[in-house]
Amino acid sequence: MSATTDTPAVRPAHAAPALPAVLPEPRQRSRVGRFVVRHPTIVIGGALLLAMLFIAVAAPWLGTVDPTALAPAKRTRPPSAQYWFGTDMLGRDVYSRVMYGARVSLLVGFAVAALSSAIGLLIGLTAGFVRWADGLIMRCMDGLMSIPPILLAVALMALTRGSVQNVIMAITLAETPRVARLVRGLVLSLRDQPYVEAAIAAGTRLPRIAVRHILPNTTAPLTVQATYICASAMITEAILSFIGAGTPPTIPSWGNIMAEGRALWEVKPYIVFFPAVFLSITVLAVNLMGDGLRDALDPRLAKRL
Amino acid sequence: MLRYAARRIVATIPVMLIVALIVFSLLYLAPGDPAAIIAGDQATPADVERIRESLGLDRPYVVRFADWLWHVMQGDLGVSIFTNLPVTKMIAQRVQPTVSLMTTTLLLSLVIAIPMGVVAAWRQGRIVDRAAMVLAVLGFSVPVFVVGYLLAYIFALQLDWFPVEGYTPIQDGFWPWLSGLILPSVALGGIYVALIARITRASMLEVLSQDYIRTARAKGLSERPILFVHALKNAAVPIVTVVGLGFAALIGGAVVTESVFAIPGLGRLTVDAILRRDYPVIQGVVLLFSFVYVLVNLIVDLLYTVFDPRIRY
Repeated sequence: MSATTDTPAVRPAHAAPALPAVLPEPRQRSRVGRFVVRHPTIVIGGALLLAMLFIAVAAPWLGTVDPTALAPAKRTRPPSAQYWFGTDMLGRDVYSRVMYGARVSLLVGFAVAALSSAIGLLIGLTAGFVRWADGLIMRCMDGLMSIPPILLAVALMALTRGSVQNVIMAITLAETPRVARLVRGLVLSLRDQPYVEAAIAAGTRLPRIAVRHILPNTTAPLTVQATYICASAMITEAILSFIGAGTPPTIPSWGNIMAEGRALWEVKPYIVFFPAVFLSITVLAVNLMGDGLRDALDPRLAKRL
Repeated sequence: MLRYAARRIVATIPVMLIVALIVFSLLYLAPGDPAAIIAGDQATPADVERIRESLGLDRPYVVRFADWLWHVMQGDLGVSIFTNLPVTKMIAQRVQPTVSLMTTTLLLSLVIAIPMGVVAAWRQGRIVDRAAMVLAVLGFSVPVFVVGYLLAYIFALQLDWFPVEGYTPIQDGFWPWLSGLILPSVALGGIYVALIARITRASMLEVLSQDYIRTARAKGLSERPILFVHALKNAAVPIVTVVGLGFAALIGGAVVTESVFAIPGLGRLTVDAILRRDYPVIQGVVLLFSFVYVLVNLIVDLLYTVFDPRIRY
C-alpha cells in the first residue's frame, strides 16, 4: 500500500485486503447453505434463469396454443382467463408468444456468449503469444471496438436476411473483440509469472504452456465476461428485432412481439408490457449471476467494480 | 503534453483507417448490384456493364476503397439509393435532435450518477449503498425501450407532464425543447448512469482508504469537501475513462430511443435506412458515429492529465 502514494498509478494496488476472501473459498463450495448466504445473487439469478430455461424448453406444455395462429376476429383482446396476456392485433395469443419467445432470447444469449468466448479466446491467445501478429490483430480489434456494438450488429444485419443464425453471428462479431482484448491482457500478464518462466526454462513447448498454464487462469475472468456478454446479447437481439432488423417476424421473440405491439401501445399497453417484463427479468437474472460469479471467482475485480 | 497530444492524435489514424475499411467492406459485401438497380428492369446486360464501368464498380477493391476514402475525407459520403440525396446532407438535417438528446442525457447522467456513486462509497454496505447498487443492476438489465415505454406511459399518457413523442427544435424555445427531451434522456441514460455510478463507487472506495483522506479528516475537514474535492478529484481518472467507453452504449441506445419517442434524429435515419436497405446511408451513419466515439475517447485520454497532474507522458 505504501508504494501507491508516490507512483502515478491509475489504479492503486490493493493486494492485502483481498487475501482473506480468497483463502476460505474452496471449502465452502461443498456446503450449499453457506453458498446461498455468501452468494445470494448467484442463487437468485440462477433460480430466475432456470425458471426461464424451463419456460423455453417446456413452452408447448405450459397451456400455450400455436403462437403463430391467427384469429382476426379476436384481435386486441385484453388479458382474461382465456387469453392470460391478451391477444395482439392479428389475434395471436400473447401469452403463448411470450412463452415461446424465451427460446429465442436464451438461444441468442447463450450462443453468442459461447461463440464469442471461444473465438475471442483463440484470437487473444494468438495475439498474446505470437508477437509479430499482435500489432495487426489488436489494431483490427481496436477498429471493430470503435464501432458501437449495436450499430455494428445493425449494419451487419442489413447485409443479410433476418434469421436467428444471422442475429447470433452479427452480435458475436460485435462482442468478440472485447473478449480477445481481455484474454490478450491476461496472457501478457501471465507470461511474466514465475511458473510460466519456469515452464519455458524447462523447455515446455508453447502450445502446451498455453493449454496447461495460461488457459486455466483465464477461465474465471472469461466466465464472468461471458455472463455479461450473454446479457448484452439478449438486449441486442431484442433491440434488433424491435427496429425490424433481427429475428424474422414469423418467429415469436420478445423483441418482435414488442415491435408488433408498438403501433398500439398507447391504447393496448399490455402487448408491449408482458414481453418487456420477461426480457427485463431474464437479463436481470443473467446480470445477477455475473455479479455473483465476479465476486466469487475474482475477489480483486469485485473490489474494483 | 503537446507532444503527447500530437502522438495520441496520430495514433487514432490507423484505428480510423481500419474502421473505414470495415465500413467500406459492409457496402462492398452488400447484396444487390447497384448498377443493375440504377439501370432498371429494361436494361440489357450491355447497358448494366456500361453503367458499372461509368460508376467505377468494375475496378478492384483496393482502388475503390482509396477512391471512396478520398471522397469521405472531403465530406462526400455518397448518394442515398432511396432518396437520391447526398448522404452528408441527409445526416446534416438529422444532427440536431441527436446531439440534443445525447447532450441532455450525458449531463443528466453525470448529475445523477456521480453523487450516487460518491454517496454509495461513503456509506459502503449501508442501505443507501445497497439501494444505489440495486438501481445500477436494474439500469444494466432493463432495456432502453422498456424504460422508454414505461416512462412515456406514466409521465406522458397518464400524468400528461411531458409530450408523448416528437421533437421540438431549440429554435422554437428552450422549454418546449427541453420538456420533449426529458423522458428520452432518462430512458437512454439508465445504462449510462449504472455504468458511471458503479465505477464512481469503486474508484471512490479505493481513494477513501488512502492516507491523505485520513489526514484531511484528522485536520477537521468536514465530509463534503473531503468527498467532493479531495476524494473525487483523485478518483476521476477511472470515471472519465468509463464515461468515454460508455459513450458506445449511448450511441447504440439513441437509435432505439429515437424510435420509441419518434425523434427525427440520426437513429431514426439509421432505422429507416435499414428497413429500406439504403446502404450508403447506413455506411455514412456508422462511420460518423464511430468517428465521434473515437474522438470522445481521444478527448478522455487527453483529459487524464487535467484530472491527475501526476500522470505525465
